[in-house]
Amino acid sequence: MYSLILKLAFNNAFLRLSRTLLVIIMIAVSMSMMLSIQGLYDGMTLNMIDKTKRSDSGEISIYAQGYRLSKELADSIKDASSIQEALMTETRIDAVAVRLKAEGLSSTARKSAFSTIIGIDLDKEERFGRFSEFLKEGELTLGRRGVLLGSELAKSLKVRIGSKVIFSTQDSSGEINAMALKVKGIVQTNNISLDASAIYVDKMKLHKFLGMPEETATQIAIRTTSPGLSESLLAEYKSLDVKSFLELYPMIRQMQDMMVIFNSITFFIVMLVVFIGIMGVMYVSILDRIREFGIMKSIGLSYRLIRLQILLEALFVGLVGYALGALLGYGALSYLVHVGLDLSAFAEGMESFGMSSVIHADIKLSYFTSTFIAITGASLLSVILPLRKIKTMNAIEVTKAET
Amino acid sequence: MIRIENVEKYFYRGEDRELHALKNIDLTIEKGEYSLLTGPSGCGKTTLLNAIGALDTIDSGKIYLEDREIGSLSEDERTTIRLNEMGFVFQAYNLIPVLNVEENIGFIMKLRGFDEEEIKKRVKEVATILEIDTKLSSLPSTLSGGQQQRVAVARAVAAKPKIILADEPTANLDSKNSKALMDMMRSLNEKEDISIVFASHDEYVLENVDRIIRLNDGKIIES
Repeated sequence: MYSLILKLAFNNAFLRLSRTLLVIIMIAVSMSMMLSIQGLYDGMTLNMIDKTKRSDSGEISIYAQGYRLSKELADSIKDASSIQEALMTETRIDAVAVRLKAEGLSSTARKSAFSTIIGIDLDKEERFGRFSEFLKEGELTLGRRGVLLGSELAKSLKVRIGSKVIFSTQDSSGEINAMALKVKGIVQTNNISLDASAIYVDKMKLHKFLGMPEETATQIAIRTTSPGLSESLLAEYKSLDVKSFLELYPMIRQMQDMMVIFNSITFFIVMLVVFIGIMGVMYVSILDRIREFGIMKSIGLSYRLIRLQILLEALFVGLVGYALGALLGYGALSYLVHVGLDLSAFAEGMESFGMSSVIHADIKLSYFTSTFIAITGASLLSVILPLRKIKTMNAIEVTKAET
Repeated sequence: MIRIENVEKYFYRGEDRELHALKNIDLTIEKGEYSLLTGPSGCGKTTLLNAIGALDTIDSGKIYLEDREIGSLSEDERTTIRLNEMGFVFQAYNLIPVLNVEENIGFIMKLRGFDEEEIKKRVKEVATILEIDTKLSSLPSTLSGGQQQRVAVARAVAAKPKIILADEPTANLDSKNSKALMDMMRSLNEKEDISIVFASHDEYVLENVDRIIRLNDGKIIES
């Protein structure tokens, strides 16, 4: 009996092929566009998170207590080298970067700008966050007087590769000190604050310039995939300020929340379109076949089985649309994951928000599972109104119609 | 087999009774009977047929099918009675367009849970009697009116109902097809011992039934 109902549902779902195909295409296209938008939103956020972690905080950063507020050299980590050594023995830690930072003023003959000088070890930064990928112009070398400049800082100072920059700041003894630097490269991390103010120099050189002992540092950044590491470090380094990425960048958490809202709104709109589309085609299809349902009711087919047939019809349409949409969406997402969406025309605006000019999408199984559940739900709900029509019809009246 | 006692039926427009369609109907139809409800248009023959077939409700009185009162059953219960014990032939054939002839004939048997082999055998048997056995894989839309009506009859008899109710079965057929259909109905009535009740004002039907029940203005005037 159920095989007969299944056959009736299948044959009727594709009886008016052009009408059904139109709804299937509508579902598939809107679903693939929604998947692409979801992937791009998530890709944009993940890209930002990834670059911020690679260029600055890692998953966890350790500071001396009070440093993040005062930014004073006096509030640096005194035994950073021994902490770094201890951290390197921890199996849950993938990479560690130790940095020394100081705020000051960088100047050229014509311009000056507030800057943060950051002493780094290029090899360790490469292991920590593939630093070389941030290089926009010039070469990745520091040397004796070499310096890498954040892209926005380079713009505001109007410097090019080979230009000279004077950086002046207070050293550890409170004296104003200045150093002449030569721009070797310009880096773009898409981390807004770093691009606008960072001057990367050799860490050892900065220690000497600032009069800071070699074992000191202002930040120890950690890369890990272990979610529980932050709690362990908090317990182990109670005297220090251990912060997770989201604690350091609360704006990114807000952005993630906003993306969830955007995705939910897009999802809701697309599902509403799917719902209305299937409901429309089912309603018209049922009105077209009202006599047929009257006949079936008259000769003994129960309302329960008619309802099952109509639900199956809607499911066929919805699920074929879903399958096609999933294929199209997967294709579009794969392209956006590998090639990305080039928004160079808006790049300046995008970069000022810390985003790349080419956005690479993210692809998650949850996009497909949540859409499957929603389309199945929308298909089943869309027949409520047509079913009411069947339930309230007068079988005698509808079977009277002429052939 | 069917006993109708003092049945009244009204048609309503909103709250108001617009038409007194059946008035104090008393009637008995015996097993194996080959009978006809006839009368002028609007006399109540289709209304009475629908009431007998549990397609429609009545306002008062009782209708018994083998001592079971069916007039006051719920919609679901009436659907079950129609499925298991009755067969219907409509004026407009009313076949299911997406199913082929074989599936249309076996439709009720499938709903009743008959075994596949049994359905196949019975469909072939009935189709042979009704001379549509060469059309089993055709869709209804490819058949002539006479062939479609024969498929409708085959569907009605295939599951061996206790009674077949046929509402104007010859109305859309020419005289040749009407004669062929009536001959087949008679043959089924005799071979399968199925009670058949027609509602028609076709002269040919009138001449070929065993019993004529004449209605006028909602009342039985001859039975």
